[in-house]
Amino acid sequence: MKSIDDIGEWLRSRPGRVRLVGSGSRQTQLPKIDDASLLDFSDCNQIVRLDPGDQTCTVESGVTCAELDAALREHDLELPCLADQASGTIGGLFASDPFGPAAAGCAGPRNLLLGIDGLLADGTAFRSGAPVVKSVAGFDVHKLLVGSHGRLYVAARLHLRLKPRPRFEQWFANRGLDQDQALTLLHGLRAERQAPTVLQLRRERDGSFVVRGRLAGREVHVRAQQRQHGLQPCEALQEFHVAAEPSGEEVIVGQSLPSALGDVLEALPQNAPFAWLGGGRFEAVLPKGTACDTVLQPPLDPGEQRLAAGLKQALDPDGTLV
Amino acid sequence: MAPAASADNLERDFERLLGKDRVLSSPDALLAWECDGFTVHKSRPRAVVLPESTDEVQAIVRLLHAAEVPFVPRGAGTCLSGGPTAGADAVVVDCARMRKVLRISTEDQLAVVQPGVVNLNLTTHVTPHDLHYAPDPSSQSVCTIGGNLAENSGGPHCFKYGMTTDHVLAATVVLPDGEIAHLGDPAGPRSPHGLDVLGLFCGSEGTFGIATEITVRLCRNQEEVRTLLASFDSMSAACRSVGDIVAAGLIPAALEILDQATIQAVEASVYRAGYPENAAAVLLVELDGPHEVVTEDALEIREIFKVRAALEVEEATDPNERQRLWKGRKGAFGAMGRIDTDLYVLDGVVPRTRLEDALEKITEIGKRHGVRLTNVFHAGDGNLHPNISFDGRDPDATARTVKAGHEILQLCMDLGGSITGEHGIGTEKLDHVAMMFNAADLDVMARVRAVFNPDDRCNPGKVLPERNACAEVAKWPQMIAKVLDEDLGADKS
Repeated sequence: MKSIDDIGEWLRSRPGRVRLVGSGSRQTQLPKIDDASLLDFSDCNQIVRLDPGDQTCTVESGVTCAELDAALREHDLELPCLADQASGTIGGLFASDPFGPAAAGCAGPRNLLLGIDGLLADGTAFRSGAPVVKSVAGFDVHKLLVGSHGRLYVAARLHLRLKPRPRFEQWFANRGLDQDQALTLLHGLRAERQAPTVLQLRRERDGSFVVRGRLAGREVHVRAQQRQHGLQPCEALQEFHVAAEPSGEEVIVGQSLPSALGDVLEALPQNAPFAWLGGGRFEAVLPKGTACDTVLQPPLDPGEQRLAAGLKQALDPDGTLV
Repeated sequence: MAPAASADNLERDFERLLGKDRVLSSPDALLAWECDGFTVHKSRPRAVVLPESTDEVQAIVRLLHAAEVPFVPRGAGTCLSGGPTAGADAVVVDCARMRKVLRISTEDQLAVVQPGVVNLNLTTHVTPHDLHYAPDPSSQSVCTIGGNLAENSGGPHCFKYGMTTDHVLAATVVLPDGEIAHLGDPAGPRSPHGLDVLGLFCGSEGTFGIATEITVRLCRNQEEVRTLLASFDSMSAACRSVGDIVAAGLIPAALEILDQATIQAVEASVYRAGYPENAAAVLLVELDGPHEVVTEDALEIREIFKVRAALEVEEATDPNERQRLWKGRKGAFGAMGRIDTDLYVLDGVVPRTRLEDALEKITEIGKRHGVRLTNVFHAGDGNLHPNISFDGRDPDATARTVKAGHEILQLCMDLGGSITGEHGIGTEKLDHVAMMFNAADLDVMARVRAVFNPDDRCNPGKVLPERNACAEVAKWPQMIAKVLDEDLGADKS
């Protein structure tokens, strides 16, 4: 399938449940469904429009993060949330949103998604937002893509805001720290007037901590920050997520303010692998079936849950998208 | 079905809840609530209530819901699209007395505020902590955070820092049925496995409920702020300078352009800033960051100005001098009051690369309709504010204004833009929504609104054009429709 019309036709003719798939790299975040038809976006992989002067682009959902990053690099542009996302498709990235909008440097997926050309599960095509950097016309239905995992509607095309690629960047990773050293460095970097555009705290399996990230801007300032905090240069980082042993472990996902990181670490088993992803989101590896207290996983707000259920019912009343 | 509570006794119930001094219902007292900054559309509400807490808002909304009476949330009333203008049957829930800063966290760089906190007051409040709240609408000295959230407000510094939606982390919301929802979380605006409901709520123009506690992100103050003002002998040169700055990969905090008519209005007013009156346009560029970075950026920008043959360049780092350079821009809309009795502020967006083209065509439209046009706009975002000064008492002038405005917004759409960049649809643009969205798009939006506001009693008749909007609220759009229908009829003949 190539076009929105094709996708609409396919949806209209397809009885039963449907799951959207990009490259499949984020499918593990969803419950396994055996009876769903797969709507595969791997053929919907065109960069429809790339306008360097306006710093916007329109892409089909199946464009891979790597392809888009390469195309943008030719114009000295970037999609900031790609800085550490080499794998998967753009549609998958926005639908899963591994960081949340509070990502360091104010450049999370919510901020960068300007609009969509979408389809409801019944094949009805619709648009939300606009392909310009600023528009407040109508309700921002497109913002619901972020974190939806493709279970509300099909986002066939995404209008994205781009940023100039920094004149200079330096990745860093300070390893072998204890918890106090790591938190002190993390808070020191966050307190900078120009904080790193990527910033992560990790605890490795041996219990040691790593603070890593990316400084960006003019070289003179990046070098000064590097010296001031004693940051150790490294190659550009590719993978930020923690990995569980398939046999007896699982990854839990939660959120923490920087000031609460100490409490979260205390609530975890000693030396449990942990990654705080800069935007407030964290991942931790626990033995399967470990009960989590409210520090790790606070209860969801019933009012917000009611609205989320209502939105699912309103946009996909038959529960087609799973 | 009959309402569960009597609509007739509402004012008495409100007085019991809030006391007499926080319930207004006499015609004179309601005068101040008959419109927002979009003064063309006026309608006096049934009553105004002034809550001071989430509990009070919830109790008010429960009474309204039970009595099946429509209501309209309101901040400072600085909206420019009629968003908080209420019909005669509606009660205004005015949040201006909810002005407490509830919590500041310097470590987490956030603040929790009530919706009536004035935008600039929040920045003043956190200045001792070397922090500020970035979104800065022109009305920031009076507009409120709650209103900013409802409208997803912008402002000059949104070019670098983003709009309100980029700075809102969580909100406690009283829904139209009186239930409370906590959207987002200070650590992340949505739960790890949840939807970004807060992202949807932001910019819903008060039709999804009333935010009563809002958590916003605060930004670190920068080491240095430098403002440059360049004047040009053509609007093209000013627009091309903006293109060059952006193409160079620079990210100024603000990029604002004023045209000659605006400069002259400003210089003749109390907002006089010393702008060169012979210039066809001036471009304000604000840079912020570490001293060495700002210095290098300023040098590059001066080179661009030289290439684009700027007439003069002023540069200021001193706060007083910077304030002077900004005074004309911030006071531009006020200065328009000198030109005529009424001002119609448009808010179209075009791709930044189409600015020159758009401005040329806007001038043509203005000439064709014989209206007085001025332009002051957020050039970095392509967000135009063509302003039409007119005498609202003159039906012919009003009709020409409406027609010119309609054509300008259509032009923005034809160039690939939007009918509103930061002012919202309100009632002003109900008749323009179809330029941008078709029936299927609007149906999806209506479904989403129904989740929050199934009876459309929370700020009814806004955002989505509907036939069942009450007559009072629909007054302005009906006038537009009449003018445009007549125009279209004339064209057809």
